[in-house]
Amino acid sequence: MIEMKGINKGYLLGEEKLPILKNIDFTVEKGEYVAILGPSGSGKTTLMNILGCMDEMDSGEYFLDGMAIHETGQHALTKVRNEKIGFIFQNYQLIPTYNVMQNIIMPLLMRGMSHQEAQEQCRKTIELLGLEHRINHRPSELSGGQKQRVSIARALVGSPAILLADEPTGALDQSSGRDVLKLFRELNEMGNTIVMITHDLNVAKSARRIVRIVDGRLYENEP
Amino acid sequence: MRISEILRLVWLNLSQNKFKVILTSIGIVVGSATIMMVLAIGTGGREEVAEQFKNLNAGAIDISCEGETSGGISFAMGGGDMIAFSMPDNNMPSGSISIGGGGSFGGGNDWGGFGEIFGFDGESTEKQEFVTLTTEDCEELSLFVQGIADATISYSTSASVEGGDLDSASYYTIAGVQDNYDTISNLEMSIGDFLTEENNENKEKVCVLGYSVAKEIFGSAYDAYDAEIYIDNRRYVVTGVLSEMGTVASGISPDTAVFIPYETGIKYITGSSISPTLTVIAEDVNQVDTVMADVETALADSYSDSTFTISDAGTKMEAASASNETLTLLLISMAVIVFIVGGIGIMNVLFVSVKERTNEIGILKALGCSRRDILLEFLLEASFTSLVGAVLGVLLSLGITPLVEIFSVRVSLSVSGAMLSLLFGVITGSIFGFYPAFKASRLIPVVALNQE
Ligand SMILES: Nc1ncnc2c1ncn2[C@@H]1O[C@H](COP(=O)(O)OP(=O)(O)O)[C@@H](O)[C@H]1O
Ligand SMILES: [Mg+2]
Repeated sequence: MIEMKGINKGYLLGEEKLPILKNIDFTVEKGEYVAILGPSGSGKTTLMNILGCMDEMDSGEYFLDGMAIHETGQHALTKVRNEKIGFIFQNYQLIPTYNVMQNIIMPLLMRGMSHQEAQEQCRKTIELLGLEHRINHRPSELSGGQKQRVSIARALVGSPAILLADEPTGALDQSSGRDVLKLFRELNEMGNTIVMITHDLNVAKSARRIVRIVDGRLYENEP
Repeated sequence: MRISEILRLVWLNLSQNKFKVILTSIGIVVGSATIMMVLAIGTGGREEVAEQFKNLNAGAIDISCEGETSGGISFAMGGGDMIAFSMPDNNMPSGSISIGGGGSFGGGNDWGGFGEIFGFDGESTEKQEFVTLTTEDCEELSLFVQGIADATISYSTSASVEGGDLDSASYYTIAGVQDNYDTISNLEMSIGDFLTEENNENKEKVCVLGYSVAKEIFGSAYDAYDAEIYIDNRRYVVTGVLSEMGTVASGISPDTAVFIPYETGIKYITGSSISPTLTVIAEDVNQVDTVMADVETALADSYSDSTFTISDAGTKMEAASASNETLTLLLISMAVIVFIVGGIGIMNVLFVSVKERTNEIGILKALGCSRRDILLEFLLEASFTSLVGAVLGVLLSLGITPLVEIFSVRVSLSVSGAMLSLLFGVITGSIFGFYPAFKASRLIPVVALNQE
C-alpha cells in the first residue's frame, strides 16, 4: 500500500538546510494499523504530510497504491488526496462557516458527485460516527471529541485507500481519546488501512504495529 | 466539482457573511455611482450645449460696438459678448440683469468653462469713441460686403409692462428687432405672425411675446394673441406669440422677451441711447472668417476710432463643446481616481478576507479540491459581491441625481451608463477579489494550512 525509500526532507533555516527527515524507509501493507511513535519535534507531522501528499519531499521514492508519488505533479496529487487518502488533522481543520454535514460532504462533492448522491453516501458514515443529531451544527458548537469525529467522518466518507491520523487524540480528554482509539480499532477491523502518529506510547499501543521516529530517523520496533 | 455545487458553496459563503459582503462592496458602490454620475453629467452637459445652440445659426456673425461702459451694462454674465447689448442707465431697473447673453445664459451657469470662453474679451480701450450702430450700417454691410446672406440689427432694453393678468407693472426685456429677426434667430411662432416690415416702417405699436411672457401675462399663448399690453404706458397689440424656445447660448432669451419693431422702440422707449448689435449671416458657413474680416474693414472705414466686437456663432459652438469636452474629461479623470482609490480599498479588504481564508483554501486543497474549483468559487464570490456593490451604486446614483439637479446641473441618466458602471464595478471587484485567492490557490496544501 505504502512504500517509501530513502525519503529526505529539510527546511531552510537561513542559508542552511536543516534536515528533518533523514533517509526514511517505510512500508505499510493493506489492512495494517500502524502507529508512528516519537517525541515532539522528531518530524512526525512532516512525515505525515508527505505521506498525505500534502508536502513535497527533497529526495526519495514514495509509492502509494502502486503510484509513484515522487514523480506526480501537483494537479494529479489533488486527485490522489481526494480519492486515496483520508487525512485526520491534529487540530481538526474543519471549515468554520460550514455545518457538520457540509464539512463531511465536501470530499464527495469534489469528485463531481451530485448533492443528493453525496448526501446518501454520507449518511452511513454519519451514523457510524453517531453524528446524526449534529449535522446542522457549526464546528464552533461542537466539543473537541465531536469535532474530531466530524474530521474522521470527513476522512472516511470517500472510502480512501488509507487513513492518516496526526495525533488524533492529542487535543482530546481521556475518554474522548479512548473513544477515538476504539473507533480506529473498529475501522481497522472493517478493513481500513490506518497510519497514526502520536507521542504517547499508550496511544501507540492500540495500534497493531509500532514504529519509532527519533530525530528524523525511523526505527522498526525498539531503537 | 459540479457548477451547481460551487454555486451552492458561493451562496453559502455569501449569505453567511452578509455584513462582510456589504462592507466589501462599499468601495464598488461609490465607484459605480461615480462612474454613472460622471457619464450622466457629461451627457447632460453635451445635451445642454446642443440645446443652447439649437436656434443659433452657424453662419451668424454678431457685431457690436464696445464703447464706454457708462452707456449701459454689457457682458452681464460672461455670456454677453455674443450679442452685447448695452442699455441706458435710465431704463435699467436696478438689480435686473435680463439683457444680453448673461440673462439668457442663466440656465447654463453651472458650466464654469463658459465664462472663460465667452468671457470678457471686450475690455474697453481708452480714448475710444462710442458709436451707435444704425440701420444704415446694417444696409451698407449687406450691400458692400460680399457673401452676406442676410443682416439684421437689434437691441434690447427693459421697460415696464402692464396688462393682462398682471396686478402691477413689471419689468420685461424689450427687444427692438427687424422683421427678419425671427428667421435669423430660428424662432418659431406658436400663434400669429412675427413683426413685419410695415410695422417697423410705420413705427406701429405692435409686439410679439416670448412664450413665458405670454404665459405670465395672459395665462396662455392663445389668450395673449390679439390682446393688448402697455409698455411704458403705451398700448401695444400682440400680433403673435413665440413657441417655447428654451435656453439659448447667447443673445436675447426669446422666451422671456417682448419683441417690438426696431423703430417703434427707438421712438417710444429708448430714444437714441441704444447700443444695438448687428447680426449678419454668411452665405457659406466656411467663409465666415472672410466675411468677418471684410466686415471689420468696412466698419473701420466708417468708424476709424472705434473697436468692434465681432464674433461668430461657429467658433462659440466649438469653444462651448470643447469646454464641455474638457469638463467631461475632468469628470472622467475624477471618476478614474475614485475608482483607483476605491479599488485599492476593495483590494485591501478582499486581500485581508481571503488571507483569513487561506486556511480554508488549504483545507479544500488537502481534501482534494482542484485549483480550478477553488478559483471558480472565489471568483464567483468576488463577482457576486461586486455585482451587489455595483447595483447598489447605480441605485445610489439614481438617488443622488435629484440632489445634484438642485444645483441646476443637468444630469442625463442612461441605461448604457448604468451598464457601463455595472461592468466597471463587477470587473474591478472581481479582479481585486480574485487575485488573493489566485495566489493562495497556488500554494501547496501544508503551506496554505500553516499560514496564519
Ligand atoms: N515549515 C517549517 N519550517 C521550518 N521548520 C519546520 C517547519 N515545519 C516544521 N519544522 C521543524 O521541523 C521539526 C519537526 O517538526 P514536526 O514534523 O512538526 O514535528 P512533530 O510533529 O514530530 O512534533 C521541528 O523542529 C520543527 O521546528
Ligand atoms: Mg506534529
